[in-house]
Amino acid sequence: MSNMEKYFDASYIWSSFPALLPFLKITFLVAGLSIIFGTFFGLILASMKLGKNKVARKVANFYTTILRCTPSIVLLFLVYYGVPSIADNFGIYLHDIDTAVFVVITFTLQFAAIMSEVIRSAYESIEKGQFEAAVSVGLSPFQAYRRIIFPQALVVALPNFGNGMIALLQEGSLAYTIGLIDVVGKANLIIAANYNTHALEIFIALAIIYWILSILIEKGFGKLEKMFSKGKQTIKAT
Amino acid sequence: MSDGLNYKFLVDTFFVALSGVPITLFVTAVALLVALPLGFLLALTRINQIPILNTFSQVYVSFVRGTPIIIQIFIVYASVPLILTAITEKYNWNIKIYDINPIWYAFIVFSFSTTAILIEVFRSALSTVSKGQLEAAQAVGLTNFQAYRRIVIPQALVVALPNICTATVNLIKATSLGYAMSLQEITLKAKVAANVGYNYVEAYLDIFLVYIILCSLVEYGFKLYEKRLRKYQYVSS
Amino acid sequence: MLEIKDIHKSFGKNEILKGVDLTIDKGDVVVILGPSGSGKTTLLRCINFLEKADSGKAAFGELQVDLHSASKKDIHAIRQKTAFVFQSYNLFNNKTALENVTEGLITGRKVPKTEANEIGKKALDKVGLSDKYDSYPSQLSGGQQQRVGIARAVALNPDIILFDEPTSALDPELVGEVLTVMKNIANEGTTMLVVTHEMSFAKDVAKRVIFMDGGVVVEEGTPHEIFVSPKEERTKKFLKRVLPEDYTFYI
Repeated sequence: MSNMEKYFDASYIWSSFPALLPFLKITFLVAGLSIIFGTFFGLILASMKLGKNKVARKVANFYTTILRCTPSIVLLFLVYYGVPSIADNFGIYLHDIDTAVFVVITFTLQFAAIMSEVIRSAYESIEKGQFEAAVSVGLSPFQAYRRIIFPQALVVALPNFGNGMIALLQEGSLAYTIGLIDVVGKANLIIAANYNTHALEIFIALAIIYWILSILIEKGFGKLEKMFSKGKQTIKAT
Repeated sequence: MSDGLNYKFLVDTFFVALSGVPITLFVTAVALLVALPLGFLLALTRINQIPILNTFSQVYVSFVRGTPIIIQIFIVYASVPLILTAITEKYNWNIKIYDINPIWYAFIVFSFSTTAILIEVFRSALSTVSKGQLEAAQAVGLTNFQAYRRIVIPQALVVALPNICTATVNLIKATSLGYAMSLQEITLKAKVAANVGYNYVEAYLDIFLVYIILCSLVEYGFKLYEKRLRKYQYVSS
Repeated sequence: MLEIKDIHKSFGKNEILKGVDLTIDKGDVVVILGPSGSGKTTLLRCINFLEKADSGKAAFGELQVDLHSASKKDIHAIRQKTAFVFQSYNLFNNKTALENVTEGLITGRKVPKTEANEIGKKALDKVGLSDKYDSYPSQLSGGQQQRVGIARAVALNPDIILFDEPTSALDPELVGEVLTVMKNIANEGTTMLVVTHEMSFAKDVAKRVIFMDGGVVVEEGTPHEIFVSPKEERTKKFLKRVLPEDYTFYI
């Protein structure tokens, strides 16, 4: 195995962390913006799916199906090449803007589709009787949503929201393909600077970073769920 | 650049992208063939709390779910040649490691990740079949194996099917990352065609279309199969 | 025909069975009564190895087994001689009524399919479900499901059928049809060990009644002995609680 050591040196794993970790900033920034915008558009899509307008419902469902069938990397490149060339048609020049913008657009589109399903299923899990009871004791429809429906739906939605976030974080690792220098992008730069040696160690470091992040998100959402599920027995019993 | 789409290229490349479908499906099929039985067996170790295997499955699932597939690909693509080199040098075999067809790497990576996903799918499906079903089967004289094969698995399968469908669609989508192993699948083929004249928008539109058609067909197929399996679940009054 | 010696079983720190003996002769209908938590169901489940007893022996005709360390072969042999009717029916959800009844015959005992179907249909006829051969459990009422459960047990032609509170999960108006079916098969000479809360069944059908409490057999005897002149204080207290004030026995 002595030859193996020539190619694999575990110390590279540890020494690459200080170089990689600062670039999590970019990863978080891109993911955070996609989550904020994606949740917002997801809410709109969900209300289209739950609303009475047939056309809106069809459009929203069609959008979700298409997005579900599209690999992230294909969507990423479609946005990266497609958005500027569409903009060209309107005389807007977008070829020089930051790649991060394209990444955020891509994952906003994707996260909106995920969130629309999370919100829809959470809303549908709450019985109609809850709303009717709230209105019957004199709450306005808005108050009924805010004080009765939303808190219950939130508990149902939280684990799925957490899973969506983990998925987004992982799909986001593809942003390096259009030149974003996040943790993965930086890792590839380090490897290139090493003349492609010790790539494995750097990748293992990357895997460890993502693994820990995912576990933290999962644990965090578990805690949140506990915090918000005060009335959960009642939900289960109904 | 704003001279619109190159329609001839769009049509031609659609067929180039389409020609990658067999490889995509081949990798998908092999990964499923490995992952379905293996995932099921490991799910059983989770359900029955078999000491060491249970913990192993837990860590395995956590790793796969916690790391991006592209990084799993990087790791396999970087580590397998190292390991093989070490082995071949030790035994003085004369194998050219860098001649290995990339499809083997694809088999390894996608079987590895799909197995973990299916462990979770089967675990949750098996836990929906009540213990009474197994007990009743044992009580009428079926062996454990017969009870699983004839009573528990058919019921768990119905529950698992929508999730197996999702896993399959995700697997097909994930094979688009085969470019990192120079796997000649849909995405890579169309991209290479686009390199000549910088027709990237057209190429990615074609790839986009092929995946939508492919995944819609798979989803439709699963729905049909599910309907057939579900025949015993009439809406009870 | 069936002899159980000194069964012990604990769940964690909770000792459920504290040494129970039991003998059942061929053709007997034995009813076990007792408050919930007295270990009746656990006793039944241990006999069929649905739970593994901590210790105890069972003699089944020629077959002698240790209830704690029986081999797979012995367990299989005992299950071939017994049948079990569950409180929650546990019909196979993915099989029709007829398939539920024939599953044990065809797969477990390798009976040819045509023969098994004939036996199965006869069993379903016996419980009054001639028109439900091809219905799935989800299409049947609780009473019908439990009757299929009984047919499934009868079809195996076992030496003994174990009934675990067969009517407890049923709506009151459906209890009657199941008890009638049980009475009928008892009259045919089937050996039955029945855990139930149905006093009328115990009174009318049982040859012997066993009263269990706190993991032991408190008292046993004929229905007359138990219901009319119970000896033990615990039995009296229990009967007072479960029987109406002015309930008198005419036997």
